[in-house]
Amino acid sequence: MSQQIVLSEDHRDCLQEISNVAMGQAGGHLARLLDAFVILSIPHVALLSPSEIAMAVQTVDNQNVSGVCQGFIGGGISGESMLLFNDTSFNDLAKLMGYEEEVSGTAEREVLIDATNILVGALLRGIAEQLDIEFSFGPPAILGQHQELDKLLSSKNVRWNQALVIEVGYQIENYDVQCDLLVVITERSLHYLLNKLNYLLD
Amino acid sequence: MPEQKALLNDFRWIMDVIQTIDVGLVLLDKDYKVRLWNSFMQNHSATTAEEVIGYSLFDLFPEIDEKWFRRKVQSVYVLKNSAFTTWEQRPYLFRFDNYRPITGKAEFMYQNSTFIPIQGLDGSTDSICVIIYDVTEQAVNNIEFEKVNTKLEYISRTDGLTSLLNRKTWEDSLEHEFARESRYHENCSLIMFDIDHFKNVNDNYGHPAGDEVIRQTADIVRQSIRKTDIAGRYGGEEYVILLPHTSIDSAYVLGERIRKKIAAKPAFYEGEVINYTVSLGIASFHESLKNPTHWIDVADKALYESKEAGRNNTHIYQYPETSSDA
Repeated sequence: MSQQIVLSEDHRDCLQEISNVAMGQAGGHLARLLDAFVILSIPHVALLSPSEIAMAVQTVDNQNVSGVCQGFIGGGISGESMLLFNDTSFNDLAKLMGYEEEVSGTAEREVLIDATNILVGALLRGIAEQLDIEFSFGPPAILGQHQELDKLLSSKNVRWNQALVIEVGYQIENYDVQCDLLVVITERSLHYLLNKLNYLLD
Repeated sequence: MPEQKALLNDFRWIMDVIQTIDVGLVLLDKDYKVRLWNSFMQNHSATTAEEVIGYSLFDLFPEIDEKWFRRKVQSVYVLKNSAFTTWEQRPYLFRFDNYRPITGKAEFMYQNSTFIPIQGLDGSTDSICVIIYDVTEQAVNNIEFEKVNTKLEYISRTDGLTSLLNRKTWEDSLEHEFARESRYHENCSLIMFDIDHFKNVNDNYGHPAGDEVIRQTADIVRQSIRKTDIAGRYGGEEYVILLPHTSIDSAYVLGERIRKKIAAKPAFYEGEVINYTVSLGIASFHESLKNPTHWIDVADKALYESKEAGRNNTHIYQYPETSSDA
């Protein structure tokens, strides 16, 4: 067991501020790219255990959720973002992404992956810029649709105890598109992040 | 000029690496004109850099869906963020034919590609780099795996002898349909039937002949039902057919058709002509039914009546008219 990581009040505030700024920038970029008004919730920053994340995820209607994950790494900081979509809004999502054709099975996957890449990229880029680092991204991967997230995050599969989680809700005006983004940064790279924050706080 | 020489040297090895690296590298300017085309791309497309550089990508490779490609690239310019496409969404970006005659298992190269923004000296993004990965091996393995899985799933759902649904899978469908009917109260009927004196078939002609009778009966069922009907082998010589959106009268018509077809068509096995008949019981969905098993029970009761009445006929289960037990 590794030692418990504590997030100081200052660090938390700083992260909150960074997330807020990144969110604002992301909103602007997304509006320009998607030609739609994006309503973003205030990011929620917290240290969570895998089971707490599973619980946080479960509060979203667990029945009809599609999840897409995308790994990122850079400047010693690494993690994975997870975007959770409502199945009901597929056609709107496709329309938003500029797909005019009928949405078939493969196109559905592509829409999910494209949307994830864009929504996640917009936020993480803003965070990276403020920390003066650059992230590399892997291709997004679709979690099995209707896969149980609590299974993915069970202690058998997960090799970490705690992670910093930044949670943001997205809504897009006039479209039935709602999703939640979780950025999960594990304890392994947390001290790099805290060092960066110290630098900003000084 | 030693500095310049060192710079040139640096440039030379960077270019060497870019040229020989085993992924495709393509640099595109804002007008989608090619600026870089490394060896991987040259070799697989059978073009030289001179033939490609300076020309529009869409003129060179008409297989690329221009609208889609522009949309993808647009997001890279606006967000200054990479974009991706994997073989699962699009098998390839550039159509490169399989080049390995012995171990190449696919017709063409499966590709993953990444689009990355490239900044000019002034800091603005003025071009993008497309990286092409050959993932044929992985894709082929994955597709094979999926195929095997689909086959296994089919095997686990069906009965080996008749290819009708096996009992477990059919019962799942029944349960599903029962829940639907309980909610929406639509017409739905259930036919249950079995082969008359099947033991005699086995005793007189042998078990392989009995199997042939079971198989032929399944064939007749398959030919008689509609796409939406769900037929299964319930037990040894017992069959069930679930008929959604079907009134009891229509179910009776279908049941009689199956019965007559079977009676008219003997099975043939190794020169033997085997005449046989079936008896049927039909029960429609009724709100007094407690659960799916109850539904099967009442269909079975009707089937028993057919047996009692001399076999080779069809009976409908009559629900008691009183609703006093509600």
